[in-house]
Amino acid sequence: MRRMRIALLGVLLAAMPGLFAASSLASSGLAGQPAPDFVLKSARGTNLRLSEYRGNVVMINFWATWCGPCRQEMPLLNDLYSRYGRVGFSLLGVNIDDDSRRAMDMAEELGVTFPVLFDERKEVSRLYQVEAMPVTVLVDRTGKVRHVHLGYKPGYEEKYLTEIRALLRE
Amino acid sequence: MSIKRNFSRAGLCALFMCSFGPASAQQLGPAAAAASAGPGDSSGEFRSLDQDVQSLKDEVLSLNRDLFLLEEELLFPANSQVAFYISMDVGEYFELDSVNLKIDGKEVANYLYTERELGALLRGGVHRVHMGNLKVGEHELVAVFTGHGPNVREYRRGATMNFSKGIGAKYLELEITDRISKQQPEFAIKEWE
Repeated sequence: MRRMRIALLGVLLAAMPGLFAASSLASSGLAGQPAPDFVLKSARGTNLRLSEYRGNVVMINFWATWCGPCRQEMPLLNDLYSRYGRVGFSLLGVNIDDDSRRAMDMAEELGVTFPVLFDERKEVSRLYQVEAMPVTVLVDRTGKVRHVHLGYKPGYEEKYLTEIRALLRE
Repeated sequence: MSIKRNFSRAGLCALFMCSFGPASAQQLGPAAAAASAGPGDSSGEFRSLDQDVQSLKDEVLSLNRDLFLLEEELLFPANSQVAFYISMDVGEYFELDSVNLKIDGKEVANYLYTERELGALLRGGVHRVHMGNLKVGEHELVAVFTGHGPNVREYRRGATMNFSKGIGAKYLELEITDRISKQQPEFAIKEWE
């Protein structure tokens, strides 16, 4: 019985990287493709459509209130938004919580100033094949997905900075 | 003796010049021929390649157009096609946020309007909110308009219409207008002839 448990655990551990790779492949398969268009209601009450940002470099950040790394990442994203918002950079934070009020409370608590959109039906997160949190997608001025980042670790914001600056220069 | 020597020298020189000349001409000939023929041939080749590429491009464009039309015909055949359009003629009494359409109890469209899209509608634009297929017969359309009404209050109004789908495409327009007498927006559904 013990041997069986160990064997099962071994199989599970061996399969985990594959499972993660499969899920990471799902979103990262969007790189190079046109970003799927969507429209969602924002925290301010207006409806925002991705294709209306064509011409800007757009970062789409999928987040949730139960996601710890999202809490770490969002203030740093807000800094990027404050710095580059005037020169053609837009940031859309797509929240996937069932209850948008919790998302609004958290955004206010973290001092977020970029638009927060609510994807309560999870339609947009399905469109972008989001299977883990957070997911950060960078879209260039022509509407093409150029970079997809899965998860967040301290230091990722440096990568974002490099990529945003390169896309702004194009 | 000196005359004979000079004559023989002259003869030898002449013989030498004659032997050299034609060979040079022969050497120059092919090169000259090559030089004159090369540019002409390659420019001709480039021209025909360019023409081939252009005609291929034309074919691809025409194929793309045909495929698009075929796709539309297959997915939305004209005889079962039904399309719904939104138009607005409002200013003061209603700010549209979204439209939800149900046909025979089934949701077919739920569209959120951005500020830019609303601006386009107010300038006279007409938006095709849904296109689909319906069988011949009686059908029920329920349209729910959500937005902000007078005094920036949240507003939700519905409009229902029973329509008959015959042979041939059907087009319905959902019109939002100001009713000044009641100071309220008015929602109407009308069929295009």
